[in-house]
Amino acid sequence: MAFAGLPFATLVTIAAALGALTVVFYILKLRRRPIAVPFSHIWERVLRDKEAESWLSRLRRLLSLLFQLLLLGVLILALGDPRLSQNLVQGRNVLVLVDTSASMKATDGSPTRLDSARDQVAAMVRGLGATDRMLIASMDSGVRPLTGMTGEAQDLTLALKELRATDTRADIRRGLRFAADSLRGLPKAELVVVSDGAFGDLDQESLKDVLGDIELRYVPVGSRNKNVAITQFSVRRYPLDKSRYEVMLEVSNTNEEPTEVELTLIGDEQVVDVSRLSLGPNERLPRFYKDLAGASRTLEAVIKLGDGTPDDLPADDHAYALMPERRRSRVLLVTDGNTYLEAALLLDEYLEVTEVTEAAYPPSGRFDVTVFDRVAPPLAEGGGAALYLNPPDTETAPVPRGKPLKDFGFDTWERKHPALRFTELGDVQVAVGNSFRPERGDKAVGASFQGPILVEGRRQGRRFMALGFDPRQSDFVMRVAWPLFILNTIDYFVAEDTGYISSFRTGEVWHIPAPSGASSAELEGPDGVRRTVPVKQGQAVFQGDQAGFYTLRVAGEEQEQTSEFAANLVDLAESRITPSPTFEVGDKRATAVSGFNAGVRRELWIYLLIAVVLASLVEWVTYHRRLTV
Amino acid sequence: MGLFDRIWRGLPSASRRGAPARGVGASPTKQGDLFDDEFQRKLETLALVSRKVFAGRLRAERRTKKKGSGVEFADHRDYVPGDDFRAVDWNAYQRFGRLLVRLYEEEEDLSIYFIVDCSSSMGFVSGGSARGASSAKFDYARRLAAALAYVGLANLDRVTVVGMSDQVVARMPTTRGKGRIFRVFNFLRELSPTGVTDLGEGMRTFVAQHKRRGLAVLISDLYDHAGFERGINVLRYAKFEPFVLHIVDPAEARPELNGDVRIYDCETGDEREVTITPAVLERMQLAWREYQESVERFCASRQVPYFPADINVPFDELILKVFRRGGFLR
Repeated sequence: MAFAGLPFATLVTIAAALGALTVVFYILKLRRRPIAVPFSHIWERVLRDKEAESWLSRLRRLLSLLFQLLLLGVLILALGDPRLSQNLVQGRNVLVLVDTSASMKATDGSPTRLDSARDQVAAMVRGLGATDRMLIASMDSGVRPLTGMTGEAQDLTLALKELRATDTRADIRRGLRFAADSLRGLPKAELVVVSDGAFGDLDQESLKDVLGDIELRYVPVGSRNKNVAITQFSVRRYPLDKSRYEVMLEVSNTNEEPTEVELTLIGDEQVVDVSRLSLGPNERLPRFYKDLAGASRTLEAVIKLGDGTPDDLPADDHAYALMPERRRSRVLLVTDGNTYLEAALLLDEYLEVTEVTEAAYPPSGRFDVTVFDRVAPPLAEGGGAALYLNPPDTETAPVPRGKPLKDFGFDTWERKHPALRFTELGDVQVAVGNSFRPERGDKAVGASFQGPILVEGRRQGRRFMALGFDPRQSDFVMRVAWPLFILNTIDYFVAEDTGYISSFRTGEVWHIPAPSGASSAELEGPDGVRRTVPVKQGQAVFQGDQAGFYTLRVAGEEQEQTSEFAANLVDLAESRITPSPTFEVGDKRATAVSGFNAGVRRELWIYLLIAVVLASLVEWVTYHRRLTV
Repeated sequence: MGLFDRIWRGLPSASRRGAPARGVGASPTKQGDLFDDEFQRKLETLALVSRKVFAGRLRAERRTKKKGSGVEFADHRDYVPGDDFRAVDWNAYQRFGRLLVRLYEEEEDLSIYFIVDCSSSMGFVSGGSARGASSAKFDYARRLAAALAYVGLANLDRVTVVGMSDQVVARMPTTRGKGRIFRVFNFLRELSPTGVTDLGEGMRTFVAQHKRRGLAVLISDLYDHAGFERGINVLRYAKFEPFVLHIVDPAEARPELNGDVRIYDCETGDEREVTITPAVLERMQLAWREYQESVERFCASRQVPYFPADINVPFDELILKVFRRGGFLR
């Protein structure tokens, strides 16, 4: 027997003090209340008969005192939290990793897999040993500990209520690393993974020594795998006709049996297209919808089984996309005349172009983008972002000129840069031009071997892009890449992406475009919850775990700016919800959990407390029944 | 509100100032309805029953051992010089040849002494511990004394009221006639329950102070640590006719107590520790009943009229029914 609560010396001190107090109170209690009687002579007769019982009465009083002291002793003993020695020696440190990824939303549990997992963990908590300690953590795309390493069943039970399945994939590697770090150095360490085992293909070789000596246990949940899913979903507008768009999606059947699927495309809450698809066992069927129209904002894809019955995982039956709102961009062109440039700007009907000479700059009005053709006057207010074509070597030029170049071209360029999307610059030949000397913070988007010739950066809080040669001194203007470059750059500046208007992927860190002046923004999720997210370098940063439409609100100088976007699961690994009966990490095979004997508490103080309460109850009843007085 | 209640709370100012009462029958009627005209007429028709004949100074409605100027023939005796010739029975002389004098019974008044127990136990409040406070028992005793005194006064008896504990604490001089009833009321009102009961000592003082024998009505709870018998015996030995009105409060038989208590006698202060249980309360009730029975047995064995007066019995019922049934009133 050992004390896990207060130390023995403290218990003795408390017992002595409270014992003395009890005796004093008992003596004080013996000072009976005085009661007047009219004629004590009659009482004498009564008490003469009672004299014979006095020894019994005294004994009763003594027993009453001893009983009170006994109850006090038991209470103090409970305060010491006595434990059996073997329990103290055999305490385990258990980390329970509960899978809260999207697959745990499957409805083949009670009612979901997560609910089944919660029940399993609750049973383990109830059966936790007196000296066992447990930590509960949720695992989806990240790992979140819900408790500390504790033996308090109440804390653990409360933590179970916080478990919530998300629309993200399970990152088992991260979970294992977290478990290994948390259990490192602890005796009798056990990792219990409560999951359906839908982790995709694990590289077991790389996980070989992750857990070390930690005992690995596995609690499988789930029983069926009836599921079809949207595993890819992308939408893009046509660059030169942004009112139309095309959709690419992939529908997957994760069953072992063929199935019929009804696919519905919904644009701006109106059905755009309905089609029925036949999918073979484990078949992934990509579909491509060209030249669609009728949706200017939201686009949603929904699938359901052909027979109308729901599948086990509704979370992957929806995919969302939100297209930027089309509006006319105001472009200021400062030039003495450039036919190629004017022609490129004419291609986009959503551009509202104002052309002025350098002498007339700046005109009145506000613009989203200003294109400077071979000029670089001081930037005026309200001009928006700036695109410089062959800026002169003046103090007001955005980037200092480097050495002059002849007969050069783009030797390297960022192919994924939004301004260069859909372009091929390798064949562009330039007669004369200049390289740039970018300043700190500037970025070379394209360069020849002799130096950067396409630079972007920020001046006076406004973005700019500078091209180091006159396009007319090259064959750039003769190529399809020329108008694409001009329009891409303008779209890039006004944050109107002509590329894939797909969505963010849940579980990943999102970088959402936001006005650069703000330091924080308010993000409203599909669940209606509003949260403040940081804004860094013009991008709000957030790791979302819910699929659906989001709204980002940023306080602007004049009014609040609102933007919307969508997030999707689209993860085949999560949609494969076939429960795995086994789980292996490296060469370590998980075993079933044991040693959690539900319903048996090993803390003696509970039983001591119950005994005191029962004894007090009996004493109370017998006192009021006049059996012990 | 009854007559006595009204009287208790304060007499009419004229009466309190000693103004002569113009008739008892009229005054109380104005003061309340407990002793209304009907009730007083009943009381006036009742007379105290005297089982013995006492000598009295004034003529009244009772026969005495004295022979004298009454109208009822009593006896003959031989003539002696100096006797009134008008009393000689000439018919007897003619018949027997002897001079015999006719003797007549003389009707005289009765002396009634109301001895009210003024000890602390009479002021005991059941369920409380107020020492000397006015209580149902003491009030009941005083009302009994007042009612009986009124009956005595209405029958032209000589009424004396005495307050007693271990001595005579107060004494109202002998009086007669209904008009003096308010004097009785005033006297009783001034009494308070204090002191220790010792009827033996008190009665000795009483007997010494009152040479004229008569009916001695003892109104008491008889809680006498020295023994209630001593007081009654003193009256008996002094040729008084004791009449015991035992004031009984049944609540004292089963006090509302529980748990560990320290009981003390309200008169002597004697203390005892006791744990009250249902069994103890049962024994207490038994002992109390035995005590009442011992009083009754004692009185019966000494031919002393005994009437238990339960304070829970309505006052007029006790006067009109219980006393008549017990032979106290005729």
